[in-house]
Amino acid sequence: MTGEIDRKIGGLLEKKWTSVIRLQKKVMELESKLSEAQKEFMEGAPARGKRTPAEWIPRPPEKFCLTGHRATITKVVFHPVFSLMVSSSEDATIRVWEFESGTYERTLKGHTDSVQDIAFDHHGKLLVSCSADMSIKLWDFNQTFECIKTMHGHEHNVSSVAFSPSGDLVYSASRDKTIKAWDVATGYCVKTFKGHREWVRMVRVSADGALLASCSNDQTVRIWSTDNNANECKMELREHEHVVECVAWAPEAAAAAINEAAGGDNRRANHAGPFLASGSRDKTVKIWDVSTGQCLATLVGHDNWVRGAAWHPGGRYLLTASDDKTLRVWDVAHTRCLKTLYAHQHFATSLDFHRSLPYVISGSVDLTVKVWECR
Amino acid sequence: MNPCSDAAPQHDNEGDGRWNSIHNRFLSDAKGKEADVVFIGDSILQALEHTEVWNQWFAPLHCLNFSIHRDQTQNVLWRIKNGELDHVDPKVVVLHVGTNNVDHSAEQICEGILEIVRTIREKHPNAYIVLPSLLPRGQYPNCLREKNSKINQLLREKVMNMNKVEMVFIDKGFIQSDGSISHHDMHDYLIPTNTACRKAFEPIYDLLQQILSESEPEKDLTPSE
Repeated sequence: MTGEIDRKIGGLLEKKWTSVIRLQKKVMELESKLSEAQKEFMEGAPARGKRTPAEWIPRPPEKFCLTGHRATITKVVFHPVFSLMVSSSEDATIRVWEFESGTYERTLKGHTDSVQDIAFDHHGKLLVSCSADMSIKLWDFNQTFECIKTMHGHEHNVSSVAFSPSGDLVYSASRDKTIKAWDVATGYCVKTFKGHREWVRMVRVSADGALLASCSNDQTVRIWSTDNNANECKMELREHEHVVECVAWAPEAAAAAINEAAGGDNRRANHAGPFLASGSRDKTVKIWDVSTGQCLATLVGHDNWVRGAAWHPGGRYLLTASDDKTLRVWDVAHTRCLKTLYAHQHFATSLDFHRSLPYVISGSVDLTVKVWECR
Repeated sequence: MNPCSDAAPQHDNEGDGRWNSIHNRFLSDAKGKEADVVFIGDSILQALEHTEVWNQWFAPLHCLNFSIHRDQTQNVLWRIKNGELDHVDPKVVVLHVGTNNVDHSAEQICEGILEIVRTIREKHPNAYIVLPSLLPRGQYPNCLREKNSKINQLLREKVMNMNKVEMVFIDKGFIQSDGSISHHDMHDYLIPTNTACRKAFEPIYDLLQQILSESEPEKDLTPSE
């Protein structure tokens, strides 16, 4: 009887002894797997450790989540030279941040209602902002960070502003249905573009400064010549089925990918461009050949209004921000969504891609600004 | 004159002018923001805005919520007549009011709600008007609870044949078998908790989705990759 028990206990003890070693081994295996997985997670797939700048895309998790604004973030933009970024908000302020360290720099106060859009001139010496208070302000970004000029003239909420490439002019779009050109030196309105039948949401200038693209609640995208003699709308791009929220001119590098997208399966198309992307409340993003007015591709995937669009500097990808709370990276040549970032707790309103460094920034109704590193 | 359909601001009992401040904020929100859905009414809808359910279901639909604590029918009517719905272009207006008209009869309150419906219709001929039914109140059966259910019946008959007016019954499932209402559903036996909002407002959410997606092309739901 006792012998039997001894044998039983002895057997148990032996089993436990070996299982400890077995488990120890297992733990070590799992730990090494975990570290590999972590490395992969941080660098993308193992083979993709060394992505070229043309291929890097933002990957979660975000590098910084910046808080401070007291209301919806309406726009985020990178400074063209310094490692600074700027965000505008419905709290009527503009905040300046350093994006590599994620530190808050300063707040620009002056507007009395929602700041709707902000833009830098080519050198980053001037910032222009516009607001629901119907004014446009120029801010010195060279030294003082003071407001140096305030321009009035629009009769309603000013929704968007952009600098001409030379930096001499500022273009603004408003809920009063017009687009205006302002002389930066004097602060005078030098031209008014009329044609949109509703609230103009955004205006953007082409890289050569010859064309303006605007979009509106009237569901159209319009192309205008900045040439002083031309006063008419040059082209009307009509295919969206709801308010068009944003437009973004494609960089030259995007031509190959867009042509591939337009060419279908076998045949190579030959569109010269310039090309433009537009995002709408109909949840789609469209890519247009502005020389012919043809819609070359439609990107479908967002589950809610598309609010912001920015081209990857390499030209192969387009990034969009949407009220479905995501940022999406679109593989333009194959017109498909390459990556979805569940970026924010509430509507994602805006994003920007740095033109030379691997960073993307996004802003949201959840009051945060996020910095995403690209890999 | 029926006091329920005679537009009047809420009386500033406390003397801090909050009601007016809120009204002014709603006016400026209406001017600056574009919403597909406007919620307007009393404490019940106001409480909804602070629930998880709101963030999860209603916020993504692009909503504005113009509801004020303790508002009665005549107060909501006043706010609408004084511009709250003038600068918005909603596809749907969700209206819930009446439970705070404690001094008035069911018939008066029902008429007050109908007056609001008519006023909304005048301003927005094409919008859907959604009327969630009044919720029961009080831990135990009481005359206000009975009155609310009577208002619901009266209102149902009146709006049944109105075009683009939908009444949705959301008051089921709160009165337990012993006649009481649990504090898990309404912590103060009036205002629904997050859990209760989930129960009550699910049919509203379904209806809103249906209405908002009416005009949209059918979506291809075949999974890709």
